[in-house]
Amino acid sequence: MSTRLLSHTTARARITLLANAKKHHNHRLVPALSCSRFLSTHATPDSSETEPYDVVIVGGGIAGSALACALASGKATGTQKIALIEAFDLSNHINWKPRADQYSNRVSSLTPKSVAFLKRIGVWSELDSSRIAACNGMQVWDGVSGARITFDAAHSNDRSTFLQQVFADAPQSPSSEQGSDQQSPLAWMTENLHVQYGLQKQMLAHKNRGVQLDIFEKTKVQGISANVSSSSPQESSSTDISEWPVITLDNGKKLQTRLLVGADGVNSPVRSFAKIESLGWDYSQFGLVATLEVDHSTSTALDQGKGVAWQRFLPTGPIAMLPLNNGYASLVWSTTPKIAQDLKKLPAQDFCALVNAAFHASPADLEYLCRNIGPDGQPQVDFQKEIEWRASVQELESHAVARQSKDAKPPKVTAVQENTRAPFPLRMRNSNSYVEDRVVLVGDAAHTVHPLAGQGLNQGLADVECLARVIEQSLLSGSDIGNIHSLTPYSSERFLPNLAMLGTVDKLSKLYNTDFGPVVWARSLGLTAVDNMGPIKTEIMRFAMGLEDVPSSAARR
Amino acid sequence: MSFRIIPSRNINALRQLHPNRNRLAPCATLFTATLLTAKSLLEAPTSKLYPGHVPISPLQRGILAVGSAFTALANPLRGDMVAALGETTGGMFLERIRDQMLLDPEGRRILRERPVITSETMQLDKLRELPDGTFGREYVRFLDDQQVSPDTREPVHFVDSEELAYVMQRYRETHDFYHTLTGLPVTVDGEIALKWFEMVQTGLPMTMLSSFFGPLRLSHEERKRLFDIYVPWALENGSNSKLLMNVRWEEWFEKPVEQVQRELGVQPCPQV
Ligand SMILES: Cc1cc2nc3c(=O)[nH]c(=O)nc-3n(C[C@H](O)[C@H](O)[C@H](O)COP(=O)(O)OP(=O)(O)OC[C@H]3O[C@@H](n4cnc5c(N)ncnc54)[C@H](O)[C@@H]3O)c2cc1C
Repeated sequence: MSTRLLSHTTARARITLLANAKKHHNHRLVPALSCSRFLSTHATPDSSETEPYDVVIVGGGIAGSALACALASGKATGTQKIALIEAFDLSNHINWKPRADQYSNRVSSLTPKSVAFLKRIGVWSELDSSRIAACNGMQVWDGVSGARITFDAAHSNDRSTFLQQVFADAPQSPSSEQGSDQQSPLAWMTENLHVQYGLQKQMLAHKNRGVQLDIFEKTKVQGISANVSSSSPQESSSTDISEWPVITLDNGKKLQTRLLVGADGVNSPVRSFAKIESLGWDYSQFGLVATLEVDHSTSTALDQGKGVAWQRFLPTGPIAMLPLNNGYASLVWSTTPKIAQDLKKLPAQDFCALVNAAFHASPADLEYLCRNIGPDGQPQVDFQKEIEWRASVQELESHAVARQSKDAKPPKVTAVQENTRAPFPLRMRNSNSYVEDRVVLVGDAAHTVHPLAGQGLNQGLADVECLARVIEQSLLSGSDIGNIHSLTPYSSERFLPNLAMLGTVDKLSKLYNTDFGPVVWARSLGLTAVDNMGPIKTEIMRFAMGLEDVPSSAARR
Repeated sequence: MSFRIIPSRNINALRQLHPNRNRLAPCATLFTATLLTAKSLLEAPTSKLYPGHVPISPLQRGILAVGSAFTALANPLRGDMVAALGETTGGMFLERIRDQMLLDPEGRRILRERPVITSETMQLDKLRELPDGTFGREYVRFLDDQQVSPDTREPVHFVDSEELAYVMQRYRETHDFYHTLTGLPVTVDGEIALKWFEMVQTGLPMTMLSSFFGPLRLSHEERKRLFDIYVPWALENGSNSKLLMNVRWEEWFEKPVEQVQRELGVQPCPQV
């Protein structure tokens, strides 16, 4: 515990560290000789040499890029030497020039917690607010039984918690009286590319102000090994640099790092390198995404359904429509692999008819229509006519029984943006652990979840926020950031919440993936009961909004 | 009133009662939910959905189901009670049959056009002129032998959906075709065998109940024949054949019975 290896290469870093070491008297600082070697390696980059880093992040997706920004903006972490490796061309992100009448098909909902984090690391202010849609309501219903649950921003703002409502006399938190700023949104919808753009801009800004952040784009990690063919034998200690992982890039370059971060997605090469097992399964489902144009005047919801997210559970999987601005919406339709492929090929007009039917028609009708997409992608029956006929039958019944008429209707889909229909395989996966000595996993590399609750990315951002904080604390206390003991606080903070989310979402997906009578009946009663119990609903929403660990009075700050 | 209606109606009812329900303590909410469930048990649909429709509440439905089950058991000739039993217990299962019909082009056509089977629409006289052995000729022969007509069926009263009421009606109207198709006699055990066949095909609880309770009223001989011959035949053929609710019988009259059996995947029942 007494000897420590320093990899800091700037004078500023040393000063910070010395200052820290003085603050924590129990730590003795040993200026290691190897530092000079690091400096020289850095000064003359040579593809055959191994270049040392404090943190190497594999994967420049949202999780990896956000981590780079968070580290770069930290007091202590900002002095570290960081590398980010991404297989794709990141210049696409920085050169992103969106048109007002086009939206990318990959859109995510960001929870208030994620947005707060993005604000803190300076990314949110880089974004174009006209391309961010506030989501103020959610309508979720069971396609088989029609049972429905609605969430709106007013619910989440309920000041008292569930327990306070049970014990009605419990004092309200003092801040509960303050503020009348009603209705902070449940979530914000924006394109993944948009967030990537903001992240990239911040990364470059950090670089420009001198943070040692090396970005290797269009570069793939080819291999990771634990041992270097090191010519200079180091003193054997627990922090022996020769034990640091070495990352070989496909351009022949080698990086050696104190801490290796796997932000490399669901098939994480870093996870395989660290021999971390992961458990999970492929849902035999694909999520078909697309950008839609909708006619808000056809919605019966408040404010013509603007800012409302709609999700209907069908026996083949949930279909969701997320609000964007200016009459656009983003579709995620989880369904069987075959239907997803067929939907992609269907002529645009029939596709829109089918999406509309998916929010209204009976599951049997929908199945019939989906079965009638020919191998050439052409409909084999007249979709429009079939749908109209069934709608007229439904209409007749609902009038007579006065049922379901009060359920808000989603806006009608009028067009689908060209070339935005794309299927993604859906999986659930959780790593048995998130940390090993010198290795840590974040985002989809650590856990992958079914998109039905729109939580994957938010979980990844929560990981990143936590990891950056843990690394900062290790540096401040003079610990080795790659040491497994330094990383444990991260895994103990993130593992259980992520697992809970995965389990919940997985159960939900299974629960709704059937039209078996008794199950439908029980789940409908459950959904209806929850819908009628404000306090429980509030708790669910807070969980979904990433606010479960925030006292509810503070939730809206 | 089928299961599917209960939840959404509760939501709306609760909304009207407690627009400000977020403030309610959870126990109070639970209590109200229970009350409302009770309330919805007593609520009947607001208006008549089709001629002959008798709107009833779930509670009445339960009483009617139990009552008609006992009456039907005691006296199987009470056709109205057997029918009431089927209607009051069949909501969910009728929906299932309707959905099976919606998945089939022929079934959809039937639901869209809603053909009815009466002595008028069947033009029985014309059927009598068809050659022996055709499906139509054998169908009238069956009617004539039994001295029944397509018009003697009990109309539908208690199904709370106009479309499901039609499905129920169609189910009843096509019953006689099943006899022609399978060759099962109109005897107590023959009818029970047909119920088994339908149960395997559709899962209708009325047929389920009578296929379980029906045997109580059989003689030793009849029971032996039922379980040695009919039931094994029903189990095999019920699951292998095309769903008979999706058959537009009216269009098969000219075909020989054997061909109809082959095309629908039904083997004639062994004759005793
Ligand atoms: C249809 C769908 C809808 C979704 N909707 C939502 C939503 O509404 N809300 C939400 O929160 N989440 C949503 N998600 C989940 C969300 O998209 C993911 O959780 C998130 O994008 C994962 O980010 P990541 O950075 O962890 O991984 P990724 O985005 O997968 O990034 C991994 C990166 O690593 C790179 N990489 C991999 N291997 C190598 C290598 N060997 N060398 C170099 N680079 C490598 C890849 O190129 C990639 O850029 C959705 C997912 C799907 C499929």
